[in-house]
Amino acid sequence: MTTDLVAAQPARGNALKRAVERFPFLPALIILVVLLVLNGLYQPRSVSFIGLTGLIKTYLALMLLAIAQTYVVYAGDIDLSAGAIVSLVNVAIITAMDALGGGTGAVLAGLGIGLLVGLACGIVNGIVVATLRLQAIVATFATSIFFTGLALYVMPVAGTPAPTAFWRTYGGRILDIPFVLYAVIVLAVLLLVLARTKLALRLLSVGDDQQAAFQSGLPVTRIRLQGYALCGLFAALAAFCITGDTASGDPLVGGKMTLNSVAAVVLGGTALAGGFGTVTGSVIGALIIGLIGSLVFFVGTPSEWQNLVQGVAILLALMAGILVGRRASR
Amino acid sequence: MARLAAKAVSKTYGATKALRRGDLEVEAGEVHVLIGSNGSGKSTLCKIVAGSVRPDNGELLFEGHPMVVSGPNAARKIGIGIFYQELSLAPHRTVAENILLSDLPGGVFVDRKALNTKAQRYIDLFKNVTGDNFHAGAIVETLRPDQRQLVEIMKALSSEAPILIFDEPTSALDRAQVDRFFEILRELKDDGRSIVFISHRMDEIFALGDRVTVIRDGETVATKRIAETDAAEVIRLMVGGDETLTAAEPHQPTAVAATAKTVLAVDALSGDGFGNVSFNVAAGEILGLGGLHGQGQSAVLRALFGATPPTSGTVLLNDKALASSSPRATINRGLAYISGDRRRDGVIAGRPILENVTPVHALKQRLSLATPSSLREKAKPALEALRTKFAGFSHPIGSLSGGNQQKIVIARWLIDRPDVLLLDDPTKGIDLQAKTDLFQLIRKLAAEGMAIVLYSSEDAELLGNADRILVFNGGSVTRELTGADRTPFNLYQAAYEAA
Repeated sequence: MTTDLVAAQPARGNALKRAVERFPFLPALIILVVLLVLNGLYQPRSVSFIGLTGLIKTYLALMLLAIAQTYVVYAGDIDLSAGAIVSLVNVAIITAMDALGGGTGAVLAGLGIGLLVGLACGIVNGIVVATLRLQAIVATFATSIFFTGLALYVMPVAGTPAPTAFWRTYGGRILDIPFVLYAVIVLAVLLLVLARTKLALRLLSVGDDQQAAFQSGLPVTRIRLQGYALCGLFAALAAFCITGDTASGDPLVGGKMTLNSVAAVVLGGTALAGGFGTVTGSVIGALIIGLIGSLVFFVGTPSEWQNLVQGVAILLALMAGILVGRRASR
Repeated sequence: MARLAAKAVSKTYGATKALRRGDLEVEAGEVHVLIGSNGSGKSTLCKIVAGSVRPDNGELLFEGHPMVVSGPNAARKIGIGIFYQELSLAPHRTVAENILLSDLPGGVFVDRKALNTKAQRYIDLFKNVTGDNFHAGAIVETLRPDQRQLVEIMKALSSEAPILIFDEPTSALDRAQVDRFFEILRELKDDGRSIVFISHRMDEIFALGDRVTVIRDGETVATKRIAETDAAEVIRLMVGGDETLTAAEPHQPTAVAATAKTVLAVDALSGDGFGNVSFNVAAGEILGLGGLHGQGQSAVLRALFGATPPTSGTVLLNDKALASSSPRATINRGLAYISGDRRRDGVIAGRPILENVTPVHALKQRLSLATPSSLREKAKPALEALRTKFAGFSHPIGSLSGGNQQKIVIARWLIDRPDVLLLDDPTKGIDLQAKTDLFQLIRKLAAEGMAIVLYSSEDAELLGNADRILVFNGGSVTRELTGADRTPFNLYQAAYEAA
């Protein structure tokens, strides 16, 4: 059996090509390493243990949102309300924890509520896009306004602080190891498990060719709906991280993150048309966006130029990813 | 009692009646062949049985009991597996994943080991004929067309359904693959499975079938035992008896003078989907391309036009070499191409009628600036020649019916007359009146000296308009019909002969 497989795969093409076929996020990984080196050159402390922990602490939310986005992009859909879900979950858990007194029990109850809110938002998106068959890009843009409206109703002005127990845990250490590192390990295991589910394979199959999936007997509507539900859950996790990082409620906190999450997915080598990609790539993509932000700062770009330079840098990263991918596929 | 029966099922898409009255009865342990010309409704009938198309009317019975097939999933549960002609594969997934897509082993998680072992069973059925780089872990996108077709076959087999439907499963397969596939089908038949098999190849039908059902113009016309019939009778049933033979009066060939100048000379042209095609077209001649759908006719026309440039061969236009490198180049040399696929090749969707009539004029005359009024003056005679009905030049083209949209697309080529007109199934999905107008115009253009190459999937259109017909089979010209030979019978026979 094993010899059969080896015989059937002759050593055609170079090693790079095979590596990119096996790990489509490889170009993104190369860019990530280059950015880490550049960051280290301009600010050696940024690549220290503390520096990297800080980076993860700040960008864990974006990583999670990029993961959330990946599952809907798998199926050829998109979620432009992901950031709004983050905002809504953020104000919902802060308000709930505040109302319940802010103790450990209140924090846990608040997290449970947050997951339910995220899940509900995802299901709403799924119903609108998959069941009612509205265009994903427009429909989720509309629900994003709706979710933002809800968030503003729950908390009209930013500023309610998070319970101390919550943000101290997120920013603190357990057994002298930063909490976010535990979070990263749990996340990695979770992603490994999810990658082995039927759902992941079915989402990708729907994204590959929706008509073919339907004709093969897959419940296409249900699968797309499940993708959005999963997206809502991960958006809620992203909201937990951003709440831990900012330690306060803000009904507009997630707005800017939506398109960053889409950019991270594309940087990670996932096809926006669906059917092809990896969650790992999206995580790397989120880190690339984070590192570009900090590099622009470390280089000493004047504040009025930072946006411009950051935009150009993201464009360059996208182009570099495509170039590496193309060379490999030759 | 028949295991599966479809009684008077019908299906209409918009204005097209895809299936008027489909009847089919399949017994246990038989190979039942379904045959009919292009667009006669075979695939629609199969899709209705397999649940991917819902019928408007009619009844489906499974072992005598009425069944409701709400979707492909429901059909699979009842016990119907299908091979789709256009394939139903996920290109980025592996062979194994595709074979078992609708029934992945495992619970919440995919059981990879079971997946590969199970898929390997079906791959092993085709051992030694699958070709290079075909294994359970191969990505479908990287496979050749014949290998993809094998995956679709394995996928249909993996349903282990008592009723298996194969809609033209052999079109891309080589001889050895077909032989192995037929061996498998015979074994399945001996196990008592029912097999519905669509093919256009007479030799396959007679090698494999037990009974044959003929569909013509969306209606089931007859079911015969293969042992009690022959190819000639089956073709006669498809053509529709003697009445139709006389009804479709062949167009009298225009007396193309022997001295008429050859406008287009194609020599040993090869490309994607066809090989070694040669022909000449004289001024004033209508050359027909016939045969079954997708035997290379469209590919030749698109190659000549430069839409998918040919790989080898020479083309002379008015005795000068023509490089079919891009449509822009060939248009400037005097070629015109009108496709039945308006959405892909013709209509500029969402733009006004005027903008849809003038782009070729703008290219040929290198217009950089033009006033709408001067363009209107030029567009008007072209549109009038086709009796196009439209409310105003500024209306979006989408506001017109399919037939009138096609007229706008044709008018585009009439402002500056081309030397050669390539027609690629130009009447697909347009109404009868528009068709009549179109062919009147085409004959007029030919009479005025234009060289015309016409491919049509409707044989009546070819017989009624072409001076000569080249019959395509498997990407090359297998027969030329001229003069009195241009009969429906000859056309069908040439088209259905084994390549």
